[in-house]
Amino acid sequence: MRTMEAENIIEMLHITKEFPGIIANDDITLQLRRGEIHALLGENGAGKSTLMSVLFGLYQPEAGEIRKNGQVVKINDPNDATALGIGMVHQHFQLIDVFTVLDNIILGAETTKFGFLQKKEARKKVEELSEKYGLKVDLDAKVEDITVGMQQRVEILKMLYRDNEILIFDEPTAVLTPQEIEELMATMKEFAKEGKSILFISHKLNEIMEVADRVTVLRKGKYVGTVNTCDTDKQSLSNMMVGRPVQLEVVKDEARPGETVLKVEHLSVPSHTHKKDAVHDVSFEARAGEILCIAGIDGNGQTELVYGLTGLEKCSGGTVTLCGHDISHATIRQRGENMSHIPEDRHKHGLVLDFTLEQNLVLQRFREPRFQHMGFIKPAAVREYADRLIEQYDVRSGQGPVTVARSMSGGNQQKAIIAREVDREKPLIVAVQPTRGLDVGAIEYIHSQLVAERDKGRAVLLVSLELDEVMSLSDRILVMYEGEIVGELDPKATTVQELGLYMAGAKRMTKEGEGA
Amino acid sequence: MKEKLSILWGKDGTKSVLASLISIVIGMAVGALIVVLVGLLNPSMGLGTMWEGVRLVFGGLFSTGRDAAGQLTFGFNPTNIGNMLFRATPLILTGLSVAVAYKTGLFNIGAPGQYLMGTAATLILALSIPTETVPAPLVWVIAFAGGSLAGAVWGCIPGLVKAFLNINEVLACIMTNWIAANLVTWMFDRGSLFENLQNTVENTKTAYIYKTSFNGVETSKMGLDLIFPNSQVNGGILIAIVIAILMYILMNKTTLGYELKACGANRHAARYAGISDKRNIVLSMAIAGALSGAAASLYYLAGNTEFFWSTYQSLPATGFNGIPVALLAVCNPIGVIFTGCFMSMLDIVGLQLTNLTAYNEYITDVIISIIVYLSAFSLVIKLAISGSHRKHRKAAEPAPVSTAPPDGGDGTPEKGGEQA
Amino acid sequence: MTFLIQQTLIYAVPLMIVALAGVFAERSGIINLALEGIMIFGAFAGVLFVNLTQQAGVFDAAKANDNYLALQGFMLLAMLVAAILGALFSLLLSFASVNLKADQTIGGTALNLMAPALVLFFIRIVANQNTLQMYTGDAASWFMIKKSMFGYGRNDDMGFFGSTFIDKTYLATYICIILFVVLSILLYKTRFGLRLRSCGENPQAADSLGINVYKMRYAGTTISGALAGMGGFVYALTTANCASTGEVAGFGFLALAVMIFGNWKPLNIAGAALLFGLFKCIAASYTSIDINGDGVFLLAQLGISPHIYRMLPYLVTLVVLAFTSKKSRAPKAEGIPYDKGKR
Repeated sequence: MRTMEAENIIEMLHITKEFPGIIANDDITLQLRRGEIHALLGENGAGKSTLMSVLFGLYQPEAGEIRKNGQVVKINDPNDATALGIGMVHQHFQLIDVFTVLDNIILGAETTKFGFLQKKEARKKVEELSEKYGLKVDLDAKVEDITVGMQQRVEILKMLYRDNEILIFDEPTAVLTPQEIEELMATMKEFAKEGKSILFISHKLNEIMEVADRVTVLRKGKYVGTVNTCDTDKQSLSNMMVGRPVQLEVVKDEARPGETVLKVEHLSVPSHTHKKDAVHDVSFEARAGEILCIAGIDGNGQTELVYGLTGLEKCSGGTVTLCGHDISHATIRQRGENMSHIPEDRHKHGLVLDFTLEQNLVLQRFREPRFQHMGFIKPAAVREYADRLIEQYDVRSGQGPVTVARSMSGGNQQKAIIAREVDREKPLIVAVQPTRGLDVGAIEYIHSQLVAERDKGRAVLLVSLELDEVMSLSDRILVMYEGEIVGELDPKATTVQELGLYMAGAKRMTKEGEGA
Repeated sequence: MKEKLSILWGKDGTKSVLASLISIVIGMAVGALIVVLVGLLNPSMGLGTMWEGVRLVFGGLFSTGRDAAGQLTFGFNPTNIGNMLFRATPLILTGLSVAVAYKTGLFNIGAPGQYLMGTAATLILALSIPTETVPAPLVWVIAFAGGSLAGAVWGCIPGLVKAFLNINEVLACIMTNWIAANLVTWMFDRGSLFENLQNTVENTKTAYIYKTSFNGVETSKMGLDLIFPNSQVNGGILIAIVIAILMYILMNKTTLGYELKACGANRHAARYAGISDKRNIVLSMAIAGALSGAAASLYYLAGNTEFFWSTYQSLPATGFNGIPVALLAVCNPIGVIFTGCFMSMLDIVGLQLTNLTAYNEYITDVIISIIVYLSAFSLVIKLAISGSHRKHRKAAEPAPVSTAPPDGGDGTPEKGGEQA
Repeated sequence: MTFLIQQTLIYAVPLMIVALAGVFAERSGIINLALEGIMIFGAFAGVLFVNLTQQAGVFDAAKANDNYLALQGFMLLAMLVAAILGALFSLLLSFASVNLKADQTIGGTALNLMAPALVLFFIRIVANQNTLQMYTGDAASWFMIKKSMFGYGRNDDMGFFGSTFIDKTYLATYICIILFVVLSILLYKTRFGLRLRSCGENPQAADSLGINVYKMRYAGTTISGALAGMGGFVYALTTANCASTGEVAGFGFLALAVMIFGNWKPLNIAGAALLFGLFKCIAASYTSIDINGDGVFLLAQLGISPHIYRMLPYLVTLVVLAFTSKKSRAPKAEGIPYDKGKR
C-alpha cells in the first residue's frame, strides 16, 4: 500500500459536488500517478470540468477529499492550487485580451520591488522556458492580436512560469489544427518524461488513445472506471462514455444535389478587430439536396461569412444570390424569407433567454397573419403552434410552452432552435456549429435532422470546427483560412491530415480549382 | 385554499410585489431613523418634535393639521388625498416613460429633459392660441398633443445616438437634459421669442409663466373636485390611468410590444430574427419621451400650476422621480399607477413635515433614493424571499434530490452543464 | 490670457481628477455613474468641515497672523475629509454592485438621487437655508495663494508664469495634478494596477490566477469615491466660493464623458479635461474673457446669446461622444457583476 501512495501524486477521493438541481460530481475518485498522462473522458456535461475546477480550487466539494503525495490538502482557491504546484489550461483561455503576452504570464505571480513591477527578470525566465520547450510566443504582442495556437502556448507558459508540476489540460485540442495537435501531444509527452504529471480532459477518443497512459471515464456525473489505454480500444471507451453502443458514423445515403440555391460571388465582409477584411473575395455555390460544410480553425472568417450571408453584418463587396434573387443588400427579414439560420451562439442570437419557449418559437413568425390580427398577437394560435413543435421535435422543459428559455438545458435550447428553424421550411438552412457543447444523444439527433432536411431537397450550409463532424456529415467541404476559401474537398476522397494542411494554410488550391 | 395560496406565493409577480413592499418599508424606516437621529443630535428639536416627525413620515397623508392644543391630528383628509392624486398624475406618466424604456433595455434618465420640453410646448400652445377664436377644449387637445410630441422629439435624440452611434443612452440623456434646461430658459428669457408669456399680472412673482387658465384653458375636473373638495385634483389622473392601461396592452398584447421587449431582452437575438433593433430603440425612446411630455402637459394644463422658467440650473424632480416609480412597479404599467400614487403620497408627507415640524421635505427625497437603491438589488430580495419559501417547504416535505435534471431531458441544466 | 488659463485650469482639474475616479472604478469593472452624487457629497463634507472648524475658531489665530502655511494645511485637511467621506459614500455602490450583484446603473442613479437629498436635508437643518457657506470670510481670502505670500508688493509684477500659475491660484489645483500623475503611475506600473485592470477586463481569468476580484473591485470603487469626493470639494472651493448647494450642475456626468472621450487612459483624459475645462470656462465667464489682453471682451461682443455658451459644454459632449464612441474601448467586463459561482 505504501508504494501505491507514493506513486500517486494527486488523489481525489469520493468527490461530490452539487449545483442547484443537479449533482455534477457524484462520488468520483481519480488517482494521478507521478509522470503519467492521465486522460479524463466523458461527454459534455459529464462533470469533467467541474471535477477539475474542484482540484483547481474554483469550487468546494460537498464531500470527499484531495490528497497530494498521500497528505490530505485543502484547496480553497487557485492560490492554494498554485502553491501545491497545480496549474491548469482552461478550455476557454483565461487571458486578458488587451494585456501583452508577458503581462498575462506574470499576472498573479508578479515580482515586484516596493509594489512596482519588475518585468526584466520575468522576461528572462519566460524566454528561457519558451526556448527550452519550443513554445514560441511574442512577449510584447497583445493577446487579442495573436493566434489561438499561440494563446494556448501562453497558457502553457503561465503554468511553467509558476513551476507547476501537475498540469491540467481542459479540452486543449478543440481549437487546434491536426498539426498543432500533434505538436501539443509531443510537448505533453516531453513534460511527462521530465516527471511532470498531466491530466488531459477530452471527449476525443483518437487523441486519448494516442497520448494517454490511463483513462478515467465519467458519465452523467458518476465514476465509470479507470483503464489503461493499452488494454482498451476506441469502441469500448466510447461505450463506457455513453453507456450504450454508439454509432460513430453518421448514416446517410448518397447526396443527390439539385439546382443551385445559394450563389456567393466575390463576397467580402469587413472585420471589427482588424483593418483587413475578415472575409475576402469568397465565391461558392450551395445546391439543393447537399450538405456543404465550411471547415476551418475558429476565427478564420467563418463567423463573419455567415454574418454576411444572413445579413447580421454588412458586406463590403460581392454579391449573394439566394433562390435567384440578389440579396446582397436585403434586410435580415427579407433574407429570412428563403433562409433558416441556426446561429453559432444560441444565447446571443438564438434565443431571447428571458422569453418563454413559445415566444421564442415564433421569434420570426409573429408577424404572420396566423399569429396576429391588426397588430394584436393571437395567444391561442401561438400556443397551438408551440405545442405542436414541442411534441414533434421532442423539446423537453419544465412547464412546456410557458417555460422561460433560460431555465432549459442546453440540449433542449438547441432543439428548440432547430425545431423553429427547420419548421420554417426554407430552401436554405445555415447551421453554425449546431452541436457545440451537446452530448452524444443530442448530437445524433441534430445530425439526423440535418440529413433529413437534405433529403427533403434543402440546401444545408454547415459551419463546423469539429473535424469528425466535418468528415462524417458533409457531402462537400470548403476550407476557410484567413478569410479565404483555400480548398474544396470531397470527404470521401480526403483524409483528416490533408484537411488539416488546408486548415493551417500550409496547402491551398489555385483559384481555378475552386467551385469546380 | 392552502394550495392556492402556495401557488400565488410561488408566482414571480407576487415575489416582485413583496420585494417592492419590502423596499418601501425599509426606505421609510430608514427615513424615520434619520428623523430620529437628527432629533437626537439637534438639541433644539427634542423628543416631541422627533416623535411628530416619525408619525408624519408614516402617516402624513392622513394628517389633518394641529388641534387647538397644538397636537397633531390624523384622519381622512380629502384635500390631501385629492392633492395626492393630482401630484400622482405626472408621476404615473414619467414612471411609465421610464418603465417602457426599461422594458426595451434602455435606462431613460432623460425624463426631466423631455418633461421640460413638454412643458414649454404645452405652455406656448395653450397660451398663444387665442381662445376667442379657437374653442378652449380644442386648444387643450392641441397643447396636450404638442407637449407629448415635444417630449417624443426630445426622447428621440438619445434614442438616435444610441441606435446609430452606440452612445451610452444614460450619458446622452443627461446631456439632453441640460440642453433642454438651457433651451427652455432661453425661450422664455427677456428678449426671447416667448417673453410675452412671462407672468406680469401677478407682480409678486418673478420668472414665472402664466397659468394656462389665464387663457381659459384648463383640464376638466370631471367631478373629482366634488369627491375631494379643496384639492387640486382634476381629470388628469383619469387620463393618466387610461394611458397606463393602454401601455399595458401595447406592451403585452401587440406585436409592437413583442418587438420592443425582444429588443430589450436581447438586442442581438432580435436582430437575428429580423426585428430592426435600431428602429425599436428610437421608437421606444420616442414613446418614453411622449409619455414624459404628456406628464408635463397634464400637470401644467391643470390651470392652477405655474412654471418657473429659469430652469437652467436645475432639472425638474418629477422627471427623476419617474425612475423610482417605474422600478418600484417592476416596470409593470399597471403597477406604475399604484407606485405613482405612493410617490406622490411621499410628496404630501414632505409638505406636512415642512409645514408642521422643524424637519423639511428633503427627507422624502432621501426615502425615495433609498427605495431606488434597494430596487437596484430587488432581484436579491426576491431570491431571499423564494429562498425562505423553499426552506419552509423543505421542512414540511423533504424534496427528493435526484441526479437527473429536473426536466428529464438529455443534458444538464445550463448552470451545471457548461462550466469552463 | 492669464485669466483664461487660470479659469480653464479651475474647471479642468476637478474634471480631470473626477474622470480619473471614473477610470479606477471602471477599470476594476464597476460602472460608477454615481460620480455626480459623490461629488455633491464630498463638497458638502468638505464645506461642512471648514464651516465647523471655523465655528470652533481653530484657525482664527492663523488667519489673523496671515499664517498662510497653516491655512493651506487647513484646506488640505478639508480635502482629506471630503475624500474620506466620498470613499465612505461610495461603499454603498460597491456593496450593492459587488456583494449584491445589483444593477450598477440603477445603483449609481440611486446614489445620485440620495446625495442631493441628504445634503439638502442636512443643510436646511444646519443652515436653515438651501446653501451651506463658510462660517466667516470667503474662499479667496482664506485659501487662495497670492503674490503677497512670496514677498511681492501689490504693484509688483510676477511675470507671466508667476501671475498665471501662482498668483490667485489654489494649492488644491496642483495637489490634484500631482495626485493625477501618481495614481496614473499606480495604475500602469504596479502590481496593484495590473491586477485592478485585469478585473475590469476578464474577472474570470483574474480569479483563476488567485486574484480576489471582489477585493479589487472594492478597492477600485473606493479610490474612485475618494477622488470624486475630493474633486467635488475642490470644485466647490474653486468655482463656488466654498459653498455647498446640493448640486454640481452635471459636472460628474461631464467627467464621465471626459473619461469616455479619453478612452479610459489618463493621458488622453488630461487632454480631454483641458478641452472641456475651456468650454466650461467659456460658459461660466464668457463676459469677462479677454483673450489677447486688449481690453476687448470678444466673446461677449459677438452678440451670441449667453444661453448658447451655457449649453456649449453639454452640446460639445454629445458631439464629441458621437465622433469617438465608435472607436472607444471600454473595459470589457465593466457593468457585469462577477459571480464566483457562475463560471
